Amino acid sequence: MTGRGTRTPAEGGASPARTAAAGGAAGTAPLGAVGVLAFLAVWELVPRLGLVPGRYLPPATEVLAALAARAAEAAFWVALWDTVLAWALGLAIAFAAACLLGFAIGSLPAVRAFTTSTVEFLRPVPSVALIPLAVLLYGTDIGSTLLLVVYAAFWQIYLQVLYGVADVDPVAEQTARSYRLSRWSRIRYVTWPSALPYVLTGLRLGAAVALILAITAQLVIGSPGLGREIAVAQSSGAIASVYALVIATGGLGVAVNAGVRLLERRLLHWHSSVRTEAAA
Amino acid sequence: MSAVLEVTGLRKVYEGGGRRVEAVGGLDFTVPAGQLACLVGPSGCGKTTLLKCVAGLMRPTSGSVRLAGEPVTEPPPDMAVVFQEYGRSLFAWLSVADNVALPLKEKGVPRARRAELVRRALADVGLSDAAGAHPWQLSGGMQQRVAIARAIAYEPRVLLMDEPFAAVDAQTRAELEDLIRGLWQRLGVTVLFVTHDIDEAVYLGQRVLVLSASPTRVQDDLAVDLPDRRDQLTTRGDVRFTELRARVYARVQAAKRGERPAPDPSAPPAPAPR
Amino acid sequence: MSRGGGAAARLGRRALRVCALPAGLVALWWAAAASSRSYYLPAPDAVAVTFAEVWFSERILADALPSVVRLLAGFALAAVLGVALGTAIGSSPRLRAFTEPVLEFWRAVPPPVLVPLLILLAGIDDAMKVLVIVSGCVWPILLNTVEGVRAVDPVLADTCRSYRISGFTRLRTLVLRSASPQIMAGLRQALSIAIILMVISEMFASSSGLGFTIVQFQRGFAIPEMWSGIVLLGLLGLALSLAFQRVERSVLDWYHGLRAATRGE
Repeated sequence: MTGRGTRTPAEGGASPARTAAAGGAAGTAPLGAVGVLAFLAVWELVPRLGLVPGRYLPPATEVLAALAARAAEAAFWVALWDTVLAWALGLAIAFAAACLLGFAIGSLPAVRAFTTSTVEFLRPVPSVALIPLAVLLYGTDIGSTLLLVVYAAFWQIYLQVLYGVADVDPVAEQTARSYRLSRWSRIRYVTWPSALPYVLTGLRLGAAVALILAITAQLVIGSPGLGREIAVAQSSGAIASVYALVIATGGLGVAVNAGVRLLERRLLHWHSSVRTEAAA
Repeated sequence: MSAVLEVTGLRKVYEGGGRRVEAVGGLDFTVPAGQLACLVGPSGCGKTTLLKCVAGLMRPTSGSVRLAGEPVTEPPPDMAVVFQEYGRSLFAWLSVADNVALPLKEKGVPRARRAELVRRALADVGLSDAAGAHPWQLSGGMQQRVAIARAIAYEPRVLLMDEPFAAVDAQTRAELEDLIRGLWQRLGVTVLFVTHDIDEAVYLGQRVLVLSASPTRVQDDLAVDLPDRRDQLTTRGDVRFTELRARVYARVQAAKRGERPAPDPSAPPAPAPR
Repeated sequence: MSRGGGAAARLGRRALRVCALPAGLVALWWAAAASSRSYYLPAPDAVAVTFAEVWFSERILADALPSVVRLLAGFALAAVLGVALGTAIGSSPRLRAFTEPVLEFWRAVPPPVLVPLLILLAGIDDAMKVLVIVSGCVWPILLNTVEGVRAVDPVLADTCRSYRISGFTRLRTLVLRSASPQIMAGLRQALSIAIILMVISEMFASSSGLGFTIVQFQRGFAIPEMWSGIVLLGLLGLALSLAFQRVERSVLDWYHGLRAATRGE
């Protein structure tokens, strides 16, 4: 009796209370907008009042103007495209490899036991350690970026796939077997849907890490993309541009997060526990 | 006997999202010191809301709750609550003994006295051996015993129980009912016991208050004239038990159909029938 | 006797499972290095010898140790800052609504871009490198703490209120403990970001430290030395991850037990 049944919501006043809370949540958007405005106002005032010299921290309006000026140049969009391309390509390769290996190794416990020590050893190796190797192998080519992105994103997705395959409900698996479903049907109808929430969690974590590493490679190695633009702007002393490009990468990050969350919601609308999974 | 708990004109209205829900509508009752009173009503009738108002966890829209003459505006120091969701009302990261001891520590009970109270409370509920375990290592019924031990170690004047046995199996439930009767007789504490189970209300209570459907009012108030010594076998087979049970059942059914109690002169006028 | 033999056999099988694949991979590396004679791929024994030569020297004090100290200092500062701010923001729905969009934005900024920014603001000294690590690590900790604090079970919160548990006791026994699974998840993410930032802040602008040294080896085409640096970074990552696992296991002991119990295992 320690099961999930104990988590039923209290009867009685609970539902009207929740309605009230939901009404409150709808009312938070204006407060958030005020927060954004307040942040911009502080950013504007701090350099204007001379609390931090303007040559280190240009006021918000100057940075936004620099961003607008950048956005009018084709070079900015080329750099953005390069970054998105490296991110998407690297993530796709990592995702495909991690799913294939994860499902294959995860469903064979013997093989899994033999690979655990290697995975535990390689997973924490920081992908930036591979920067020198990437430079030697690919120079400032997109290949450098891809090497780092694939390495970093692969482990995130691979581990989640392994968890997912291991988490298949034994009752569901036994039900499928008792109805004599074939091995392929069991994977199609039992393993894959049960593992899907984990796969998507892996995709979400992997997407964020992939963006970090894509930008890092461009920043440090100088392969084409927004990261390189930031390094160039910094070394040429175009401070407002540096800030503007940082804002642009933040925007890209927000877009990536929102996109993956949308995908999760689309694919997992049937799965009630999606939102309760810990942020691990 | 003087009333230890007085509920007067209690109303609770939820407003939000353009909706207005009257959960509790003009409720009056008193509980004398030392009584074991059961509140029973159809599910969704606002029992939990009522109990939260009595416990000081929720502000009523109007009306008042008094504990020993003092108005309750926040959780009072001499009241303890046992919730239905035992798994969620225990601290999973504390041991059973620490769960019982924490409120006492916060109350400033000296260490030696605290240890004694914890030991005795755990012995009272038959969990002396589980003191060092974590709650999630215990069965559901045992977890609810821990919550009960925590409540009695706190030495409250009034013990509120919100459907405490709704989530345990039937046999455990019978054991826990007898446990509560035994503790109540021995400790002399006032108990307000909310349940949706008619048998449970009649078996446990000295008195049963039948609540109407939402907005909640008192539909019926009857004394349970069964002998003080009760046990699962003979009491439940008693003719008087069956009669009382039938009466409460009829009143709850009437409440479900939406029949209102006769207007009480002291209560605000009932709303127009829908 | 037979029982002892069984235990020995089990131990042997376990050792085989742990060592077989790594041994195979090293052998493969060896074969590849021997057959290709590639300049970029030295044999594992050459890397091992170089590793000992390069790192068992004053270099470990001059380059590796300061890097690790900066990493730990930045991580610890970010942890304190993130948990404190996250608790404050998570406890107040209004404050949360007010700050949420701005925080979500800064969380989405890839932390490495803060390196050139902070070089502008704080120069290229130790303080800058620690600041870079703090500014990159604080977001996952902060936002996860907000989530954890917000998700405190309402029944448990009511229990605390009805027993008049408030103030510091409530913070310590209710809020922080029930948020600890999310906080630990945030710390774990932050730790891997901290290593990335340590390395690249040294690669970008520095004259010492692990990141700087490794890039110097690569630029000077000292290939076995470069590989030994990669191995050292790998070992550092592994050591930090193992240490974190230990801490996590003791902090979240109750959580794993609870999860196992509710899944009916």
